[in-house]
Amino acid sequence: MVHALEEVRRVLVPDGILIDIRPLADRWPVEVISTREFKETGRADDLLDQVNADVASNEAIVDAESRGWFRREQEEFFPFFYSWDTPSEMEKYLAEEWTDLAGLSENTKAATRSAWALGDADSRVRVRVKILITRWKKL
Amino acid sequence: MTLQKDPERNEIKYLRQFVHLAGKRVLEVGCGEGRLTWQYAKWTGSTVAMDLDHDSLRVAKVDRPYTLEDKVHLTCADSHDLPFSKEKFDIAILAWSL
Repeated sequence: MVHALEEVRRVLVPDGILIDIRPLADRWPVEVISTREFKETGRADDLLDQVNADVASNEAIVDAESRGWFRREQEEFFPFFYSWDTPSEMEKYLAEEWTDLAGLSENTKAATRSAWALGDADSRVRVRVKILITRWKKL
Repeated sequence: MTLQKDPERNEIKYLRQFVHLAGKRVLEVGCGEGRLTWQYAKWTGSTVAMDLDHDSLRVAKVDRPYTLEDKVHLTCADSHDLPFSKEKFDIAILAWSL
């Protein structure tokens, strides 16, 4: 990862800008939402692969900063929603696509199904993924 | 499947708050299927969007808007060995790829 940052630095002009956007494991909230209602039904379970990936990414960027390659100028978190019509669609997607990212406990699945079934006709389910965005200036 | 990713478009809102893209030469590392690329590339001077995954790049090529054909170049490349000369880009975006 540090070598990738070195490569990015090489192809950037002097004073060039690096934008790093990435999800951070943080037990992402699972929610049922409609135009009238909102309910958090549980939290996704962080998986070890994602936690380890976060650690490796953080170490790489700290390393690049300590080498004087980049200076951190701005940093913020924002929510990135994955949203589905039904709980079963969410469960299927997570089981197939998020095998190294996050999982759902049986309690959270049951609470989400129940809240959705009892919710408004336009209820959807979603996962609120925590995203970090950072602007770095090439030194 | 009725999956919607980022229906509130927070990612592009924050990207535009963090960097001025107008007329800039942009390199996106880890473009995947181009989900973010197609949202910002129209404002750039030019964009090179790269990924290592051939399947994702094929989808990106199919999905590339006609209006961006001359502006966005898609390429398969490894971030550890970028196939570009030095100081070629004004902005680099690591899109969920660090």
